[in-house]
Amino acid sequence: MIESEEGVPNVLNLSEIAEREREEDERVVEIVREFGAENLIYCMQCGSCAAVCPLARVGFEWYNKKLIKALLLGMKEELLDDPTPWACVACNRCTEVCPRQVSPFEVMFAVRRMMVEEFAIPTLAIEGLRALYEYGHAVYMTGREARKKVGLPEKPPSTDSDEQALKDLKTILKNTKLAKLGLIPMND
Amino acid sequence: MMEAEVVEKDAEKKLKFGLFLGCNIPFNRPDVEQAMRKIFPVLGVELDELKGQSCCPTWGTMPSIDITAWCAVAARNLCLGEEKGIDLMTACNSCYGSLNEARHKMLNNPKLMSDVNELLAKIGKRYEGKAKCRHVAWVLYKDVGLEKIKESIKYTLDDITIAVQPGCHFLWPSEVYPDKEEDPFNPVVLRELCEALGAEAPYYTRLIDCCGMGALRSTDPEKSFTLVKEKLENIKEEIDADLIVTTCSSCLIQLDDAQERLRKEGKLNFSIPVLHYVQLLALCMGFEPEQVAGICVTPRDEIINRIIKG
Repeated sequence: MIESEEGVPNVLNLSEIAEREREEDERVVEIVREFGAENLIYCMQCGSCAAVCPLARVGFEWYNKKLIKALLLGMKEELLDDPTPWACVACNRCTEVCPRQVSPFEVMFAVRRMMVEEFAIPTLAIEGLRALYEYGHAVYMTGREARKKVGLPEKPPSTDSDEQALKDLKTILKNTKLAKLGLIPMND
Repeated sequence: MMEAEVVEKDAEKKLKFGLFLGCNIPFNRPDVEQAMRKIFPVLGVELDELKGQSCCPTWGTMPSIDITAWCAVAARNLCLGEEKGIDLMTACNSCYGSLNEARHKMLNNPKLMSDVNELLAKIGKRYEGKAKCRHVAWVLYKDVGLEKIKESIKYTLDDITIAVQPGCHFLWPSEVYPDKEEDPFNPVVLRELCEALGAEAPYYTRLIDCCGMGALRSTDPEKSFTLVKEKLENIKEEIDADLIVTTCSSCLIQLDDAQERLRKEGKLNFSIPVLHYVQLLALCMGFEPEQVAGICVTPRDEIINRIIKG
């Protein structure tokens, strides 16, 4: 909380907060463009992307075309609670068919990046990030029976068996936005 | 002089790739890894271990956080090949997609490339954009060739009908991939690879449909199983396949594992074994089934016996 000159805490100015949030909502198009969806504004809502999207087919709420429309209308808060962007399989059928080079996949992922800043990130994604940092593998298993069963060494020739490589990977990750966000412990 | 040139050309001809494993293959389905390690030496392809490789990174991790961070992790992996003057090769569509999308972004954005190289400098590396990731199906189809595959096999798949599942990241966005189907909405590469083994691999309506794996399954399993169920039913109805063959480790796990779940829930009353193409090829070459195709949920014994005993 910001203190006044005399050291007395200021009262919460609700109108100011509301105004700030409204401005931020208006900025939502800019935000997602900064996060990788530069061509969002060229969307003409033709629906080609929705016609080929697996998420639209099985009934997710904010599939590509609808998500883009919502963003262009300045909506943000309504999107933060919805899991749709995290269900996107990045299949890129949408990118292939888009006649305006919008790349709806990039929009989905830009929204993920925006949600991450608001800590609207699924637990499973956090677990994947943690495993990536700890072991260098987002999908990691300690049990090695399967590898032994098929006649392979217990550890693959990856960061799993190469300390220096894992250290290098950690050095990279520590210098990225992941560290600034503080989503996972990254001390060692 | 002439002779030296010829020798050099021959050396260039020798195929060599960095075996990029990813996560699902070495930990979940190491029989696919073992199959790769068995088939390529037979086909005259040398594999480099690509020591120190990591997760590509997959979609739910760095690509969801930050583009520079995504590209930096991908570039570290690509560097491991570039340092040796070789390309990477993967049997996982997610790795293929993530690595090539990252490379495409870096090649088209000098600022991004330089930001990534600033990060790589901290570990004494630099990525020039040369090394790329090849897909195992394309290496087999284009670099090895169907004729050499035909010559390498001990068993042929006579009277076996295969439903192929190339998987999403084998096809789209075609712009970012080093190899492209003539029509990515009507893919033929995997069909021809299966036909080279003597099988029938006909078209079916839901051939290019998504299997529903990955983020979709972890977000909403029920919706994910809807997709896989529709696909399986279509395979049964239209071509009554003996076998499903994919070139993606995620599709392999989904089609194999979700099928069993659907049966247990009483939503499916048939069973179709699933193999990765490298496993099928390893079986046809005569490698030990336990090692190259030993891990599955939907039973494979019957089809493996049919392949081996003819």
